[in-house]
Amino acid sequence: MLKHFLQKEFRQVFRQREMVMIIFFMPVIQLLILGYAINLDVKHVRLAIFDQDQSALSRSIASKCFASSYFQSVQSAQEGTAALLEKGQADVVLKIPPHFARDIHSGKPTELELIADAQNSNIAGIGVGYTQGVLGRFLADEFERRLDRQPTLRKSVHQVGLRAQAYYNPELLSVYYMVPGIVVVLLTVVTTLLTALGIVREKEVGTLEQLMVTPLRKFHFIVGKTAPFVAIAFVEMSVALLVGTLWFGIPFRGSLWLLAGASSLFILTTLGVGLFISTVSGSQQQALFFSWFFMVFGMLMSGFFTPIENMPRSVQLLTYLNPLRYFMTIIRAIFLKGSGLQDLTGEILALALFGTLIFSLALLRFRKRIG
Amino acid sequence: MTAPEYAVETRDLTRRFGNFVAVNKVTIAVRRGEIFGFLGANGAGKTTTIRMLCGLLKPTGGEGRVAGFDIGREGEKVKRHIGYMSQKFSLYNDLKVEENLYFFGSVYGLPERQLKTQVVAALERFGLSDVRQEMTGRLPPGWKQRLALGSALLHEPEIIFLDEPTGGVDPLARRSFWDTIHRLAADGKTIFVTTHYMDEAEYCDRISIMRDGRVIALDTPSSLKERLGKATVQDLFIELMRREEVE
Repeated sequence: MLKHFLQKEFRQVFRQREMVMIIFFMPVIQLLILGYAINLDVKHVRLAIFDQDQSALSRSIASKCFASSYFQSVQSAQEGTAALLEKGQADVVLKIPPHFARDIHSGKPTELELIADAQNSNIAGIGVGYTQGVLGRFLADEFERRLDRQPTLRKSVHQVGLRAQAYYNPELLSVYYMVPGIVVVLLTVVTTLLTALGIVREKEVGTLEQLMVTPLRKFHFIVGKTAPFVAIAFVEMSVALLVGTLWFGIPFRGSLWLLAGASSLFILTTLGVGLFISTVSGSQQQALFFSWFFMVFGMLMSGFFTPIENMPRSVQLLTYLNPLRYFMTIIRAIFLKGSGLQDLTGEILALALFGTLIFSLALLRFRKRIG
Repeated sequence: MTAPEYAVETRDLTRRFGNFVAVNKVTIAVRRGEIFGFLGANGAGKTTTIRMLCGLLKPTGGEGRVAGFDIGREGEKVKRHIGYMSQKFSLYNDLKVEENLYFFGSVYGLPERQLKTQVVAALERFGLSDVRQEMTGRLPPGWKQRLALGSALLHEPEIIFLDEPTGGVDPLARRSFWDTIHRLAADGKTIFVTTHYMDEAEYCDRISIMRDGRVIALDTPSSLKERLGKATVQDLFIELMRREEVE
């Protein structure tokens, strides 16, 4: 009985040519788009230096800045900084005041001015950060050189240096956390949306009614209706893993088995959501709408694009209700940190709880009756 | 277990949807091997009644037994003993003819070997052997209807529910469909059929006519015609729809 049901489902899914295309090209295209286009790394910040000092020191600041690939030099027009920003020719302007070098040498307090075009707050923040970093290092070196010239001073100065290191993703590449995130998105789309649509389509066409007057067991129906999408989900995950590691060179430091296990729990949850949606939707439009709502909510609240820590406290609490959140943490940790079961117990238990709860709820709501 | 005398038996069967009473205290008894015509205007409650009898919908009042099983409590047992063909074609258009038969046969739990012989027999019997590998969606309506009937009979049910089985089918196909129905009845199957074609009602052993959720007439076509002095079931039906109440 189950064998024939599975046969039917796989046939119906794979006979739709468009479906097969979507299923196998979607992961690749999404990975390429999100891996390349949605790049949160900021490079080539357009920096204009408005040098009113024109000293050896100020010029060496400029050359230091432009030595790094993070900056791209913009000809500093003398007309002033405001014009450059206004015309959108520069992202960040560094203003070196007159007599900067002289003031430094004589020990007089002086200020450098940094102005950023903050329409894109991301570029502005990062651009300012880069500039501060370069300047900080430069000034520290300057200071060091002067101490060397006056060794007597050294004794009285205790310097505290801060050295920052980024673990797990030393170059802070966004593909590193984007690609594992895309896996979460792919699995959610396939298991929630396609499951819900598949069942509701049978409702619309009337075949569900025909099935309901047969002794078909509810369990068989649900296994048959979900199995193809579980298989597709695992295929898509494998494609994403391969493209991620081989093409983008993302390290996979954890255990594949742990990932497979955690994914299964996650899929149980998303299938449960899909089934539940199918029980409350009368048409494919409704099912699409509900699934869309769940997916958008799930993705935005998962920490995929923006860290959960940046959200207001109340919204943060809401994310605990989001199964995607846990899987997002799990998959990134397995990929980049090589975390083991003991590090992820909380998240895995949460997924197991969600999965059991939602799936059982869907089973309860699913009846072999109509009306 | 001795087979019950009646294949379908209801007493005061009622179904409400909120304040609306779709089926109101329907009491009928269909003998085994009988062709029972279930007539009524659109919205009279025919489909709701059939759905309750097939275990698709729970009654909100009264009781009913189909093939000896209580339709409220033993719906799943009822399903093993009936065949159902709805007014809407409900096989899979994206499966081949043969695949549809295999699938529906398997759903009734037929063992592999029996499944195969039944499918081959059904293909033969309904003249579908040549199109067994065709996609179901490409068949003309008359062929689809034969396929639907064939698939509803694979598990050899005792009772067959047909909800407007001949809608959208040409007269010739309708005629041969009814020939099949008569053969099935001769084999001892009970046929419970709804229709809007009054000439088809003449083929039934007994008919019941429903209006506003209630059965307002139930007898053989000839005695009903006689009682109301009408020449055809068509005239009889129209007369009953106009009148307030009979009996």
